[in-house]
Parts: sequence; structure tokens; C-alpha cells
Amino acid sequence: MEVVERQGDYLTMSVGPQHPGSGHMRLIVTVDGDIIVKVKPDPGYVHRGAEKMCEVRTYIQNIPHLERPVIIDSCGILFAYVLAAEELIGVQPPPRAQYIRIIMAELNRIISHMYWLSIYGIFMGHSTMFMWPMGDRELFIDLAASIGGTRVTFSYFIPGGVRNDIPPGFKEKALKTFDYFVKRLKEYEKIYFNNPLVLKRTQGVGVFKREDAISLGVTGPNLRASGVASDTRKDEPYSMYDTIDFDIPTYREGDSYSRAWVRLEEMRESMKIIRQAIDKMEAGPVKQPMRGQIKGKVGEAFARTEAARGTMFYHIVSDGGKFPYRVKISVPSFRNLIAMSHLLEGNRLADMPVIYWGLDYWPVEADR
Amino acid sequence: MVSSGSAISVFAGKVNDLLGTIVEQSVKEPIRYIVNWGRLYALWPVHLETACCSVEFGAASGPRFDLERFGMLEAFGSLRQCDLLVVQGTVTRKMAPRLQWVYEQMPEPKWVIAMGACAISGGLYIDSYNVIQGIDKIIPTDVFIPGCPPRPETLIQGIIELQNKIRRSRVRS
Ligand code: SF4
Repeated sequence: MEVVERQGDYLTMSVGPQHPGSGHMRLIVTVDGDIIVKVKPDPGYVHRGAEKMCEVRTYIQNIPHLERPVIIDSCGILFAYVLAAEELIGVQPPPRAQYIRIIMAELNRIISHMYWLSIYGIFMGHSTMFMWPMGDRELFIDLAASIGGTRVTFSYFIPGGVRNDIPPGFKEKALKTFDYFVKRLKEYEKIYFNNPLVLKRTQGVGVFKREDAISLGVTGPNLRASGVASDTRKDEPYSMYDTIDFDIPTYREGDSYSRAWVRLEEMRESMKIIRQAIDKMEAGPVKQPMRGQIKGKVGEAFARTEAARGTMFYHIVSDGGKFPYRVKISVPSFRNLIAMSHLLEGNRLADMPVIYWGLDYWPVEADR
Repeated sequence: MVSSGSAISVFAGKVNDLLGTIVEQSVKEPIRYIVNWGRLYALWPVHLETACCSVEFGAASGPRFDLERFGMLEAFGSLRQCDLLVVQGTVTRKMAPRLQWVYEQMPEPKWVIAMGACAISGGLYIDSYNVIQGIDKIIPTDVFIPGCPPRPETLIQGIIELQNKIRRSRVRS
């Protein structure tokens, strides 16, 4: 932290971009003693120009770099792009591919939430809680890697389906992992959620009121922790989500503690979804064959999906060429940044790490 | 399958080699050997994440890969006590001056690892208007770890390479 300026009782300082929490973000914080008076976020440390880059790459070439913004949720954030691109190209994925997409997206949601949980442990100085989810996360990485081939970046969704079929024996392996993990989640509840340290640090910290959450446009788990049962998978079902039965975990308190609960419950729901998707899947092709140069038809397309951090929205404009004319990505993390400066004001400086990470703000995604 | 006898002899040979180098080095240049040995297994990395490769860095510190086995400590320390800067991914124009400041604030001796294709050359974002094409343009770099993102195993290999380099390095008086 470096002091930027001093004004009477107020002290303005800069937090980041190098700090012992999670990097690549900077906040300019004005404090009065220990209380934060004003927060000015300074995003853009990871602005890599993803939207501009889309304009010089074909629809297929865009896939690898569009999943990099949230590398731990790579399939989840790619989902919306693929849906929008399919509309422009004019292909329909076969039903089996749609179920495989759901499986991958939900696996990625679990992987992402586990990463979040483990770093949350670090932010509270609870290093067991870094080790446990980090270790269990590897099981899901193994599952996803058996489908997608790599550890985190799969480039697995393509317009017209998915790259390859799931391997034989996936079902047994997945069910075994889930059975283990369901038991494990109970232990998490005991050691983590009923832990005096965690309760003290998170309960009643950074309370996000329902009206504020709605007016600031926050989406995803943060909105659901404030008592709004909103989930794109239920509100505007895409792919095959309307054939699947699942609940939306919602909490009313809106504090950092309930934000952790929402994500824990969501992992349970994700496993439920994957179980159903595996059962509903029928044999068949997994991609629509496409030949020649892939071109989008003149016009525009939208798609909205639920990624691990909230609603992911893509707007693609095409002029009929092989490159998209314009791609606009609307990400959940950017709204979380707005929410973060709202929540931090009036809180203690020592609560900043918990509030910051509790919102699951991912700077790479917000900056694109 | 290697029979246990030959495995033991391979192991014995390795130990012999290692002991040989240790004895040879410690006799020839004892001070250099001891100083380097002390630096080798206590690498304190700076916690500066620049982009998405940080995820695999986090996974590598986790229980499955456990970087601490190789003498790389956890990235929680202050900048002033660190001697290793792992640049985890893309460095943008806005981040570049900060990266230089961080590097300049670290005490000597210090080493830099470029992790990921982006830190090496710009990687996937090589034609982006806001990305520095390789961190060796702005700070001296010791080890390059390829991959996008590099697997934790690759990161571990990179760290072992760095340790080999430290082992051979000169000690300044
Ligand atoms: S090398 Fe790949 S994973 Fe690493 S920062 Fe660059 S794009 Fe991200």
C-alpha cells in the first residue's frame, strides 16, 4: 500500500496491483482511521483487447482467446459466444452435444467455485481451507480433462456442437467423484461454515441489500445471496436446461457469509444437473459437420447464459464475412466491481479482503 | 518393470554423482557452494499476478503438486523479502511500469521467471494493442516456462531449472 495523499483526517492510499491477496487490480481507498470513506476502483491492468481481437479472427479462431478471461470457468463463459455464433452461422448442435455442453459447463462451475472457496480461505488466514478445496478441485479437473483434454483451457465448445465425444467410463468415474464430494461438502460445512473465525469475519460483513443489488445490476450468486431468485438457466432456459430439474439456492441476508453458502449449495445443484444430463443423454453425433469457409450471415445475434460469476452476455454483429464485425461482451465481474466500491464504503479496512473476494470479482474478466 | 536390484544400483549411482559434485564443489569453492546452496531451497516468490496463469500457480501451490517440496515458499511475503518474481501471464501497457517498479524494489539477488506464452512473447494476444510482447523487453528474465497456461508440472520443471542456474551462479562479493 502506498500513500497517495493526506487531507486533514483522511488518508488516501493505493491498494494494489501488488498485494498479498489476489492480484491484478487496484483500488484507491480513502480512509478515516480504520473506516473506508471512499473507494475509487482503477481497473484495466489486464485489458488485453479481447473484443477488438475478435474482429481479426474467424469464428473458430476466436474460441481460444475468448475462454481466457475466466480461465477457471472456460466452458461457462464460452457458452454464450458459441450460442450467438451458431445463430449467425446457422447451425444447430445435436441433442447429445447439448447435454455434453451442460456437463462441461457445470463441471466448470464447480471448479470455479472451488477455486473461489480456497482463495477465500487464504483471505481469512485459514490455510486448511486453501488446501482442502484446492485438493478436491483436482478431482473435477481430472473429470473435465478426461473430456476436454487439458487441465483448464479446453476450447471444447465449437459452433455446431462439441469437439469430441465423452470418453467411455466417464459416467462411473463422475458418479464416484460426486459420491465422494457430497460427503466432503458436509465436512466443509462443519470445518468451514461453522468455524468461529469464518463466522466472525464474514457474518454481517458487506451486507448487500436486495434493492441495492437490483439497482446496481449485480447478477449471479451475489444477487441470489441478496434474496433474488434470478438465474438465467431458469429464467431464459438455453440449450437443454429446461429439461433438467434443479433448484436455485437463495439466501436473504446478503452478507459475505451467505455469498459463500450460495456457492456451496450451487455446487450441489451442479452435481444434480450433471447426473441428470448423463442419464438423459442418448447416443448420437456430437457435432454438425461444417465444410468450407465458415461465414456468418448479415445481421446480429445475442446470447445470454449463466456463467459461474453471473450472467454472461454476447452481442455479435456480422457483415457476412468470415470475421465477426463487432463482438460486445458484457461480463458479470464488471458489475461486481461497481458493487464492491458500494459495499466497501463504511466498512473497516480489515474487512476489505473478505468483501473483495466474497464478491468473486475476477479482474481479468472485468477488463477483458 | 525394473528389477529392484537395478533400481537400487541406479539410485546408488545418482547418489554417488550427487555426492561427487557436492564434495568436489565444496572443496573447490566452498563459499560459493554454501551461499548458493542456502539460496537454492528458499525461494520467496513475489505475489504479483498479472493475468490468468495465476490459476495454475495457485494449483501448483495446492496439495497435489505442492511447490514447497522443491524449496519454493508460499507467495504471502512482503516484496522486500522476496527474491523470485514469477510473472504469471500477460503484461499489459498499464501493468508494465508497475512490474518494473516491483522488480526494482526487490533486494538483490533476484531472479525472474516468465510463466506462460504471454509473458514470453505475448502468446495468444501477440497482435493486441495493449500487450507487451515478452517481459524480457522490460526486465531481465532467467527462465521461460512455455504453455498456455503451463501445467503445474511444467512450472515445477522451470523452478528446478532456475535452481540449477542458481547452483552454478557466481557469488558477488
Ligand atoms: S499464457 Fe495463456 S493462460 Fe497464461 S496469461 Fe497468457 S493467455 Fe492466460
